[in-house]
Amino acid sequence: MTQLILQSVVSGILVGGIYGLVALGLALAFGVLKVLNVAHGELLMLGGYASFFAFTYWGIDPFVSMPLVFVAMFGFGVLLYLVLFRFVTRTEIHTRIKNSLLISFGLVLVLQALAVRFFTADERTISTSYSLEAFTIGPVRVPVVRLAGLVVAVVAALALEWLLSRTRFGRALRATSEDWTRAALTGVDVRRVYLIAFALSAALAAIAGSLVSLGYSISPSIGLGWTLKALIVVVLAGLGSMRGIIVAGIFLGLVESLASVWLGGQYREVVALVLFLVILSFRPQGFFGRAHA
Amino acid sequence: MRHRALWVVLAVLAMVLAACDSGDDGSDTTQAEETSTTAAEEEPTTTAGEPTTTAGETAEAPDAIRIGGVVPLTGAFAGGGAQVERGYIYAVDAINEAGGVYVEEFDAQIPLELDVRDDASDPNQTTSIMDELAGGDIVAYLGGFATPVHAAGSATAERNGIPYLGVATSTQALHEQGYQYFFSPFPKSPDMAVTVFEMLNGLVAEGERPLNVGIFQEATDWGEELGPLFVQEAENHGYEVVYHETYAPGSTDFTDLILGAQAAGVEALLSLPTPPDGFAIYQQMGELGWKPPFNLVIRAADVPTWNDLGPAGEGVVLSTPWHPALGFPGTEAVNERHLEEEGRPADPVVGSAYALIEILADAIERAGTLDHDAVRDAIAATDGLETIIGPITFREDGTAEVPNPHMQRIGGAIELIWPADTATSELVYPAP
Amino acid sequence: MRRGPSAIVAAVVLALLVAVGLVSGSQHILTLTIQTMVLAALASSWNILGGFAGQISLGHAAFFGLGALVTRELWLGGTGLGVAILAAVAITAVAAGIVGVPMLRFRDIYFAIGTLALGVAVFITAGNLWPGITSLPAEDLRNYDFTGPYFVALSVLLTTVAISLWLKHSKVGLGMMTVRDDEEAAGATGVDAFAHKMIAFVISASLAALAGSAFAYFSVSYYPNFAFSVLWTFEAILVVFIGGIGTIVGPLFGAVFFIVGRDLLPTDIDEFQVVLFGLLFIVVVLLMPGGLTEAAERLVARTRRPDRETTAEEPTATKGKELI
Repeated sequence: MTQLILQSVVSGILVGGIYGLVALGLALAFGVLKVLNVAHGELLMLGGYASFFAFTYWGIDPFVSMPLVFVAMFGFGVLLYLVLFRFVTRTEIHTRIKNSLLISFGLVLVLQALAVRFFTADERTISTSYSLEAFTIGPVRVPVVRLAGLVVAVVAALALEWLLSRTRFGRALRATSEDWTRAALTGVDVRRVYLIAFALSAALAAIAGSLVSLGYSISPSIGLGWTLKALIVVVLAGLGSMRGIIVAGIFLGLVESLASVWLGGQYREVVALVLFLVILSFRPQGFFGRAHA
Repeated sequence: MRHRALWVVLAVLAMVLAACDSGDDGSDTTQAEETSTTAAEEEPTTTAGEPTTTAGETAEAPDAIRIGGVVPLTGAFAGGGAQVERGYIYAVDAINEAGGVYVEEFDAQIPLELDVRDDASDPNQTTSIMDELAGGDIVAYLGGFATPVHAAGSATAERNGIPYLGVATSTQALHEQGYQYFFSPFPKSPDMAVTVFEMLNGLVAEGERPLNVGIFQEATDWGEELGPLFVQEAENHGYEVVYHETYAPGSTDFTDLILGAQAAGVEALLSLPTPPDGFAIYQQMGELGWKPPFNLVIRAADVPTWNDLGPAGEGVVLSTPWHPALGFPGTEAVNERHLEEEGRPADPVVGSAYALIEILADAIERAGTLDHDAVRDAIAATDGLETIIGPITFREDGTAEVPNPHMQRIGGAIELIWPADTATSELVYPAP
Repeated sequence: MRRGPSAIVAAVVLALLVAVGLVSGSQHILTLTIQTMVLAALASSWNILGGFAGQISLGHAAFFGLGALVTRELWLGGTGLGVAILAAVAITAVAAGIVGVPMLRFRDIYFAIGTLALGVAVFITAGNLWPGITSLPAEDLRNYDFTGPYFVALSVLLTTVAISLWLKHSKVGLGMMTVRDDEEAAGATGVDAFAHKMIAFVISASLAALAGSAFAYFSVSYYPNFAFSVLWTFEAILVVFIGGIGTIVGPLFGAVFFIVGRDLLPTDIDEFQVVLFGLLFIVVVLLMPGGLTEAAERLVARTRRPDRETTAEEPTATKGKELI
């Protein structure tokens, strides 16, 4: 039993890293643009397919192709922003959230259907030579692939943190997310900030997708499930806050894993969702967010 | 008032809908007069004609016998669905090449025409597609792959009064509802549970048997049926179930199941996962570094994709409905074509699906007509018909005695290990 | 109020629907119409919470599913259909009341996410507790008659529309719309925001359950958790927006458009159908927030005398850039 609990804790932390990574992009889009993109999971799915095809047709290892996927989906994010989300950002904040919710929901339908059309609805996964390798630490096995996923998530979060706090662009980003009108007045090119932030969020979703296609499997319909996870993590960390996303992600992963031990695998997600609702009721600002005025 | 325009449009729409009523629907009993049958026997057309019967004289034959197939070509069951579709196509081609099916009512050899639709592994789409097909005057339905779509399909067929033949569903419960239009010559849970243990006892020497059994039961109707049957048969054959847990299909993490089974000392693991869960389970077992000496997975679907698992999937035993090595009539041609087109010997479900067409063609000939009920009765009366899966006789509940060979993944290939007399390889035990 | 012409047209449509139900022998037509009516009812129910009261719920399917589940279980278990439906609606209303207390404290995006989380949790639980397919007994299948389900669906739709109409012109409804437009201001003018939201929530849920009952009565065979699927929520929302949110006729129009459109498009390109509807949805949200209703109104307005006003009774663009 102890081994089970320990292993579950490890599994929970590892999967939580991916949850955090997925949430990172969503938090960025929401924090900066005040846009809620429920098609975030579809971007993850597309990134996963990109890795899958790179691996299957060109034999490129998913960790090697990750930067390429990042760049490619960054471009796609730019496209999406210019074609779609740009129009949403023209309205004031309150309506922006509602409209982006709705529009991105339409985007979910479109992207999912196109994925079915071009990729078929079959499940895919990437199996590399090291897919089954694992470190053994005491009674616990730490699969290499999942550990690498956690590392990628942490690195991404740190990189983002560095970008936000140490670069000029990062300052512009933060200023925009706090008050875009004031930022515009101080000379920030808000549109450019929005564009890059959104594209970054898409790129982050995409590399999370690469990890998913490696550690789990992908198919056109996985998007909504991951979006929901990301949403939960973002809210847990605190809507609008970029801090502690990975931590919140790990928290979610742990809750699910441990719920599985005690209530059986059937209810792991339900427990997580209910706990989420409970936390939301008592502390809507999440773990790290500021209490709303 | 400003709403007026809308109400008008709605009214017009309603009228259009009501008017469409008499146009395109075949299940309407007044159809016969309105639809024109232009296809005469000498003029083959590409569209199917509709059989009209005028009392007394030999009626004009349709240019094809239409069969409606609803198969998951995409989605979770796509792997198995592809096999099913292949079986249908191969059989229809073979029969048409031999001249088609003789229908006494028209005194003519009529070719079969297969119309396969994709239900995307979604039972709700299965139902709506079947309703659509019913309007197109098909003789019978051919089902897809996996219990959910068959459960929905069989009920719909019953309502529409059209015979429904399906394979790739082992849920016995479907056959206990008193359906008259549902036929499925495929291994069912009760027999499967028995076969597993008989095989184990037959292939493994007494002292070495994996007596500790673990069951990963999926939370579906089939899982609920087969799980307890496994338990019962384990007991009957001298085995002990030491681990038996349920999980929801679509789970991503099986850590607790795997570790629990390991802790309980499971030596024989039985599971019946919906794709891609089977894949995930074995992948995670590989990660966690545990695999019992005997592993049984009842889902032949994943045959092509299990190669992706590499060593984790090695030694897994698959329960299947058919294997070319069984050598029933028709196997050679099917195998040849499969090798040519797919680059490997015929997949398990291909044979079962092929047999359905054989059964249907035979039934139509015996019925002498394309009438739904007559064909249904003829199918039910099938007695010892020689098919690619062996001799078929239907029981009252629509099932039949069929082979249930087991295969094992050995060295990247699928080898037949049971029944022992037609085996191509010996069971590799314990699994590597 | 100019109710005359509108009422006549409504009566005509109703008469046609009744006629189709009695006369049509086409399984295809009957199935399509029933599906349209069920979807229209579900969409209308969502509209009450989302369109009148302005609360975007993404967990609506939970109530639809619950209504379907209770009705199906009771009815197939031998209870009379009427009793089963009443029980389904009552149970759902109570459940909504209980759930609404914590849920409605959330605002805007939190409410959306919260209801989504709830909806998914309920979906998973339903699938775990009722994994087996529910099919009508063989005898009923062989003697399946559309008339019953058809008129039940029609009655459900009429009830939902009637309640929507009543709400729209009632004080309670006005209160809801006030809350929708500006929740803080509503409080300041003495409108109990929470109470109004709760009323909308419970009514909306109850009507969703009613639609679910119609679905349960009509369906031949399905897996119980299907009725809880988030797809129903999405379809309802899609339909409401395409038709015109906040209007009475919008959800109806949208449902007809959606189901008929889906059926008329060739089946070979199923995915493109979805793509088209998705794109249409996006276009509507961005450019034509009033949906088809608004488009039709503009068309009608162009053919009318220029001094005829389109009053702000329809809740489109009441607050500057507010799209709802």
